[in-house]
This record gives sequence, structure tokens and C-alpha cells, in this order.
Amino acid sequence: MTARLLAGPDLAAGAESLPGHRARLGDLPGRAEREHLIPTLLAAGLLGRGGAGFPVGRKWESVAGRSRGDAVVLANGAEGEPLSHKDRVLMATRPHLVLDGLELAAEAVGARRAVLYVGSEHTQARAALERALGEREADRARALPRVPIAIVTPPVSYVAGEESAAVHFVNAGDPRPTTVPPRPFEKGVGGKPTLVQNVESLAHAALIARYGDAWYREVGRATTPGTALATVSGGQRPGVLEIDLGTTIGELAQWAGVQATVGSPVLLGGYFGGLVAGADAWGMPLDPAVLRAQRSAFGAGIVAFMGDDACGVTTIARIMDYMAGSSAAQCGPCVFGLRAIADAAARVATGQARQDDLARLRGWSGSIAGRGACRMPDGATGLLASSIRVYEADWVAHQHHRRCIARGASAGAPA
Amino acid sequence: MSSRIALDSGLRLEVDRIACDGYGACAELLPEGIDLDEWGYPIIAPGNVPLALVDMARRAVDACPVLALRLVKSPAPAPTAPPPPAPVLASRPDRTEGTPPWPPRPASAKAKRGPEPGRRR
Repeated sequence: MTARLLAGPDLAAGAESLPGHRARLGDLPGRAEREHLIPTLLAAGLLGRGGAGFPVGRKWESVAGRSRGDAVVLANGAEGEPLSHKDRVLMATRPHLVLDGLELAAEAVGARRAVLYVGSEHTQARAALERALGEREADRARALPRVPIAIVTPPVSYVAGEESAAVHFVNAGDPRPTTVPPRPFEKGVGGKPTLVQNVESLAHAALIARYGDAWYREVGRATTPGTALATVSGGQRPGVLEIDLGTTIGELAQWAGVQATVGSPVLLGGYFGGLVAGADAWGMPLDPAVLRAQRSAFGAGIVAFMGDDACGVTTIARIMDYMAGSSAAQCGPCVFGLRAIADAAARVATGQARQDDLARLRGWSGSIAGRGACRMPDGATGLLASSIRVYEADWVAHQHHRRCIARGASAGAPA
Repeated sequence: MSSRIALDSGLRLEVDRIACDGYGACAELLPEGIDLDEWGYPIIAPGNVPLALVDMARRAVDACPVLALRLVKSPAPAPTAPPPPAPVLASRPDRTEGTPPWPPRPASAKAKRGPEPGRRR
């Protein structure tokens, strides 16, 4: 395991100060070198860490190409995904790395202002960033040109971190996705080309600016270079850690103190992700390219071990209820489809399945995807479909025999 | 095997999912390419609108009371590699898995579509 973003003082010590940050990592390179930052990011092969995994350099290029010196950079630290904690940990402990990345991005794309978009529940992260902004305000040794940075805190919401929703909230106080195009890089905050970039991606960019693309590529064990933050749950030591990309899920299980046997399923990518059967998962490298080829996803680095005694049906029914409740309630297929899925899944989980509930769940998992303004219906139905594949025997037992295999009892019987 | 040699218009239908209220007028006018789900919201057949149906597709677009349906130019087909995805978190696939492609138009295709009318609210 290589510590890059999380190198330095113990995370429990809280936010690293500006003098500490500078002493440890050194100054940013001079202006002439910074002019090559976008090609350097492209050469590094850095992929976005908000979930979609889009190449960071390409994103910066597309905004830089549209900017007339009036672009906006929005650092996305909304982190509304319940299973993810890595962004708040990063912001709360290494705020200057995020701010270096934000200022570098602003310079590289030609931005006039920047926004730190921080989920309102992430109070430590916000406090750390505010303090860090104060330190930088008073800093006389700064290398980068100043750009006004505003902290904006969206309400607690799953969809508020979706990039069109982030732009919508900054513009109009409404944290719901909008119809795209136009996409934020074309017309975003204040109608200007806007770079929406996850805070971890920005922090990586701040290190690549210092040490170069060859350095970035030194680490990485499969096809995608570099390190990534991961949020691990379900073991004895849940939490956030930095992994070399390509680390296998089995290795991660060891580090996280997972007691589950090789056979128990793993949820990758969180509520927008999918379940993988334990037998397939243990040897899988955590590598965006490899996982995509296997029709799974690294997403925002979430790895949740399900445990041997967990009832997959009940877990997914709860998540589906959460997703239905988290819909921005704008698009019909999402509003009605996710609610129908949540209700049917709850009936199956609690031993009250109607005759065709499981068949309807299978049908909806295909027919609702791709029919929202954002990817909410795709994310929820993808997870549902994967759970029916991985926990098929459990779903069938619940549906047809009203029996919970995991608990060895009637489905719906009190635990 | 049905013939798949229908001439391609280079146009495809797009729904503004936020604007769409499930009136269902589009599916009544263009049953070959638009189906309604059980809540009355449109499911668009993947791919481009066949040339023979472009006029009806335009009528469907005009009939939408909330202007949620659009007929747009399809991106040029890439001969080798697909075009790079737009840099977004929320790139939305326009094709819906499990939806049949545009069928060749049968002689009686103008007939009514399925039994239930579009949901209104």
C-alpha cells in the first residue's frame, strides 16, 4: 500500500496546517511548468474519483477550450453516498491538498472563481477547509494566483452531488439534477463553462503537478496507474484507506479484518454499484478498467463486505427504499419505478410477496434504466439486478417459500 | 426474418425526462417507436427513426403538450471506435435495454396501440 494522499501526520490529528503541508510536500512548481499541467494529467492517466472515472485531463481540456477567462471550478465534496466516507476524510485531514488542486485547476482551465461544494453533514471537513482558506488568505509565500473560493453546502441528499444538481444548487439553490445537455462543462455555474471535479481527483492533481506523471504511474498493479481512496465496510476495521489500484478485493479484506469467508458477496461502488459473488470477488483487482470489463465498477471506491449471515434480500430492500426516497422526484420512471421496486422488494423481504413480485422486479431492473435525467434509475436498478443474480437462491426462497435462507427462518419473522 | 433495410433518417427521438408528464400522446401517434410503461411514461425504441416514419415522429413531437419530445440529429456513426463519452457524472444512455428496435412498418401500423390510455395527472 502506498500512501500518497494520506501520507504525513496521523489522520486522527485532524487537518494538516499550511506550514506542515508545505514542509512535507514542497512548493508547487513555477508558472512555466504549470502550463503543461493538462498534458501531464493526461499522461499520468488520472481518472476522476467521483464515480464515473472519466479522465481528468480530458475534462480540464474541455473546459479550458471553452473558457474565456470566465470559467468556474467546482470542487465536489458533496459525498451523499451513504457507504462512502473518503471525501470527507480527505477534506478534514488534507484540506491544503484539495485546495492546491482546486487552485491549480482554476489556473489551468482559466477560471475566474471557484466553489467548494461540501455536503452540509460533513461538518469537520467544512471546518478544516474554512480554516485552511484562512491560512492561505494570510499566506505571503503562495505560488498560485488567487482565485475567489466560496464554500457552498448543499442539504443532505443523495442526488445533490450529481454534477448538474451541484451546478443547479449553486445557481438557484435547488439541488436537483437538470436535463442535459447543456452539460456543466458547456454551461454551468453562472452560465459559464464549469469544471466539476471530485475533491480526491483534485488532490491527486496537486501531487502530479509537483512530482510529474511518471511518478504517478510508478504505482498501480493492473492496468490503471496510481492510488485511490477506498471506503471499506463490513469488516472489523472499517474505514478509509489508500490503495494501490489493482489491489485485489481479497487483500483488502485482510487489511479490513473481514471475517467473512471467501464465499460471501461484496458490494462494489455503493448504492450505484453492484454485488459480486464472493467466489468471483476475492481475486478481482480494484482497477476501474478491469472492473468495467467485468461489468462491475470501481465507482467512488466503495467496497462493502456483506458477511456470511447477511440476508441479501433484506439489505437490498432497505437500499431500494432509500433510493426511492432519495429520488429527486422529477422524472416519472424514477418516481414511480423506484417506489414500485422498493415496495415489491419490501414485500419479498418480509414474506409478503405477491405472486409475480420477483418477476416484476426482474422486469423493472431492465425497463427503468436509462430513463431519467440523471443516472439515479440506472444506479438503483443496476444494484437490484446484481443482487438478484448474486443472491438468486435467497430471492427465490423469499418469493416462493417465504423463507429466509440467511436466517434459517420464515421471511419476515422477527430476528 | 423481417427485413432491416428501412432507410435511416439520421434522426432520433429524445425525451426530456424532467419535462415529460406522461400524457402519452407521442405513443398514440407513433406506436412503432414509442411504447408506454405501466405508469404511462414513454419507452423509446433504440436507434434512429426510419425515414418512412419521420413525418409521424414530427407529429408526435408537435403533439406533446409539455414539449418534452425532440427529434435530434444522431451523432455520426463511428466506423471503428465509439466517440468519447462526454465528461459527466450523469451521461444518460438513450437506449433502453430490452426495448425492441424500430420494427418495419406493417401495413396496419396506424391502428391503435395497446389497451390502456396514457396516464394523466
